[in-house]
Amino acid sequence: MLTFVGLGLYDERSVTVAGRDAIRSADRVVAEFYTSKLAGATLDDLEAYHDTDIEVRDRAGVEQSPGDILDDAADSDVVFLTAGDTMISTTHTDLRLRAHERDVETRVVHGTTAQAAASALTGLQNYRFGKATTLPFERSHAGDALPQSVLDTVDENRQRGLHTLVFLDIDAANDDYMRADEAAARLVEASDDDVLGVVVARAGSPDPVVRADYLSVLAEESFGDPLHLLVVPGDLHLMERDALAALGGAPADALEALVV
Amino acid sequence: MDNPEHIRNIAIAAHVDHGKTTLTDNLLAGAGMISDDTAGEQLAMDTEEDEQERGITIDAANVSMTHEYEDTNHLINLIDTPGHVDFGGDVTRAMRAVDGALVVVDAVEGAMPQTETVLRQALREGVKPTLFINKVDRLISELQEGPEEMQERLLDVIRDVNELIRAMTEEMDDIDEDWTVSVEEGTVGFGSALYKWGVSMPSMQRTGMDFGEIIDLEQADKRGELHDRTPLSDVVLDMVCEHFPNPVDAQPRRIPRIWRGDADSEVAESMQFVDEDGEVVMMVTDIGIDPHAGEIAAGRVFSGTLEKGQELYVSGTAGKNRVQSVGIYMGGEREEVERVPAGNIAAVTGLKDAIAGSTVSSVEMTPFESIEHISEPVITKSVEAQNMDDLPKLIETLQQQAKEDPTIQIEINEDTGEHLISGQGELHLEVIGQRIERNQGIPINTGEPIVVFREAPQTESREVEGISPNRHNRFYITVTPLSEDVVDTIQHGEASMDMPELERREALQDAGMDKDTSQNVEHIHGTNVIIDDTKGIQHLNETMELVLEGMEEALNDGPLAAEPVQGSLIRLHDARLHEDAIHRGPAQVIPATRQAIHNALIDAEVRLLEPIQQVRIDVPNDHMGAASGEIQGRRGRVDDMYQEGDLMVVEGVAPVDEMIGFSSDIRSATEGRASWNTENAGFQVMADNLQRETIMEIRERKGMKQELHEAIDYF
Ligand SMILES: Nc1nc2c(ncn2[C@@H]2O[C@H](COP(=O)(O)OP(=O)(O)OP(=O)(O)O)[C@@H](O)[C@H]2O)c(=O)[nH]1
Ligand SMILES: [Mg+2]
Repeated sequence: MLTFVGLGLYDERSVTVAGRDAIRSADRVVAEFYTSKLAGATLDDLEAYHDTDIEVRDRAGVEQSPGDILDDAADSDVVFLTAGDTMISTTHTDLRLRAHERDVETRVVHGTTAQAAASALTGLQNYRFGKATTLPFERSHAGDALPQSVLDTVDENRQRGLHTLVFLDIDAANDDYMRADEAAARLVEASDDDVLGVVVARAGSPDPVVRADYLSVLAEESFGDPLHLLVVPGDLHLMERDALAALGGAPADALEALVV
Repeated sequence: MDNPEHIRNIAIAAHVDHGKTTLTDNLLAGAGMISDDTAGEQLAMDTEEDEQERGITIDAANVSMTHEYEDTNHLINLIDTPGHVDFGGDVTRAMRAVDGALVVVDAVEGAMPQTETVLRQALREGVKPTLFINKVDRLISELQEGPEEMQERLLDVIRDVNELIRAMTEEMDDIDEDWTVSVEEGTVGFGSALYKWGVSMPSMQRTGMDFGEIIDLEQADKRGELHDRTPLSDVVLDMVCEHFPNPVDAQPRRIPRIWRGDADSEVAESMQFVDEDGEVVMMVTDIGIDPHAGEIAAGRVFSGTLEKGQELYVSGTAGKNRVQSVGIYMGGEREEVERVPAGNIAAVTGLKDAIAGSTVSSVEMTPFESIEHISEPVITKSVEAQNMDDLPKLIETLQQQAKEDPTIQIEINEDTGEHLISGQGELHLEVIGQRIERNQGIPINTGEPIVVFREAPQTESREVEGISPNRHNRFYITVTPLSEDVVDTIQHGEASMDMPELERREALQDAGMDKDTSQNVEHIHGTNVIIDDTKGIQHLNETMELVLEGMEEALNDGPLAAEPVQGSLIRLHDARLHEDAIHRGPAQVIPATRQAIHNALIDAEVRLLEPIQQVRIDVPNDHMGAASGEIQGRRGRVDDMYQEGDLMVVEGVAPVDEMIGFSSDIRSATEGRASWNTENAGFQVMADNLQRETIMEIRERKGMKQELHEAIDYF
């Protein structure tokens, strides 16, 4: 059996009870932290908390040579861990399908994910989000400008009145995580359009930060330790407007422009 | 130097040993630049120790002289070029700097393979040829020919040369006059560079000399008198001034041929009109080292005026270089001057980023056409410093060599310290190795020479899918062989990504590519063309750079033995891309396209190609069998055997690999009676029974695994 367990948002204690049980009873525990990571826990913390050894794989180890994981899962219980939820932004569907091809049973134990937090912490309503996108580091995509597709996604969503969740790139190999101020700066520069943005920092931790303002203002602030994410709101419902003002300190003029 | 109408920029070019350098000496002596007595014996222009030792020219040499013609002083900038095939790159570069080529042909040997090559090099650059038939003294004293025989032989040479010129200029629509040479016109001279006499139709009319008289004097050993009465230098220098175009006449025609920038721009205009007040534009054709002044960049000033202190752009590099000094040549010496205006050949210091072939200019501009595309290296040698201490110096020296001579390629390997130099032939590499040891004082170990291979598809592949590691991105491609015409067109720089799209499209269509395909060209890498046949795929435009990067990697290291791939037409038919840029980054797209290309090449039955050479052997009749045996015994093919004079000529082709060591073998097989020429002739698919073995040898040498992709089962 191959069980996909989402570890949740922040530290070793963000996992669900069902997830914890699965980890503790597993014969082998594998994890990847290249798509996201738990900002509030080290590998040691995790191992101590679950009282088990965890082997961490890099991208190639998961994408190119998952053979041994699948072999073991055929006749024992293997758990595959990721931060957040294993099937949301960090699509591990491919691994699951490969298991199916081999008739290996699979199960998913959900963890809460950035997408849920973005909605929950900001008060922006879940059903009013459009397509999400990732803002990559310059080194991890072709060319040096911002990919046009990122801007297109935000624009298309906004035209339809929808919010855009912008994931910020993480470079696990170099322990480098894009900050929301940098992201805001690059967005204004590339789009020439200074709109309202909402920063969410350290979702899932005891002291998450939510901050709403013009992107140019956000670009000048700093939001502390990672992980960060950024939301570009579309049209605002009255409740959403009030939430951004109360929870994120958004300036009134920016909010009114978006209320329909 | 200030009036471009009184400048002639010319090159002397010929088959090896036909007497270019001896002739150059004569001209210098005639112009009072070196002593008349030593000219010819001294070979003033073969200044390098190894040139003197080997008796051949290795580096092209810049010299200048003045000559009074029709009561006006003319400045003649002349480049003496090497004749040995291995140094052909020097000839091509020299042709870029000049407007006229004095082609020298040995009267006894006649037009030889390199004669044809240098003519082609000249005409391709829009450089006008004239002919000097040298060593006429040998016809008289050695072959004992009378006036009629001699005349017949000279006319034969002229006819052969004209046939070549005619064939090559037929398709050049920018040349409206007849460029064939003729005695009556005065574009042909005859004489002896060794004994310093020469004649032409105009000179014979002037001096009243005829062949009979020349023969008498030559036979009576009165060569001094012959020289006094009809000195070679006057005849040739008059011919140069009379028949070669000056820069003002030449540049309007040559610029469109050698520069593909916007023809309506200001730079274009000032280059065409040789405007000394325009922006500075110089094409560097030669990099040399002066023990005192350091690195010297020599080349043609096409526009503007070069002066000390100018900050100039160097093509292909960022930032500017500051001109430290400018000079021209006087005799063989470089002489610093205040300014060098358009139309001249200048020698500049301070251009530290320039390499032979750079465009140097005061505004950012489209660089000149590249000049080295034809001479791909065919042979490689490893080089290693004997002493650890010399490691950095060796790397520096190798890099300097590559800067001076773009027909070599170097591969620096700092980990192993075993660097690779690739060049045009055994002699080329030998000379480089020797210069590193002698001139730089770095003792080195060199490996055995190995030939350079290529890989190329042989049939059309099926559609192949390339999948990214995360399996979210997929690319669908096919590979087929490109037609030979298209490959030639690319190789000659007639279709490249540097030129305006319309022009490229037209050139490819002229070479036989269909219209749709030529419109979808996304990239050209080496002689491989990548076609984007997809329509409206979202995100593909921002991913294309990575797609091409993966493809280039795959083409640089082919699937058989990691040798460069050539002549393939790659079509991208379709692609599936992940929504999000992060999941279609380099780590995903590059491996996917690389793998797709390799699989498609394998499906197209990719095979190994080796370099081949054209071989011509001139040999007495009774050694003909031995000579042709030397070709056949080397996996070669004899194409033709015919009588020429009292010698037999054997022509054929053979792999470069087998030709290593040919010199000593042919010498002993023919008791030293043969003379021979070889010329690189591109790459050829190796026979199937040699494929696997050769591939494994290369793989072993490169430390690759001794196992081929299982789908490679077709040889
Ligand atoms: N008999 C005779 N020999 C000549 C004449 N001109 C040159 N030679 C000889 O031919 C040989 C080659 O002359 P070079 O001037 O070095 O020939 P080159 O064309 O410069 O040779 P590369 O630069 O190596 O291609 C020398 O031994 C010369 O002395 C000539 O007019 N008559
Ligand atoms: Mg010479």
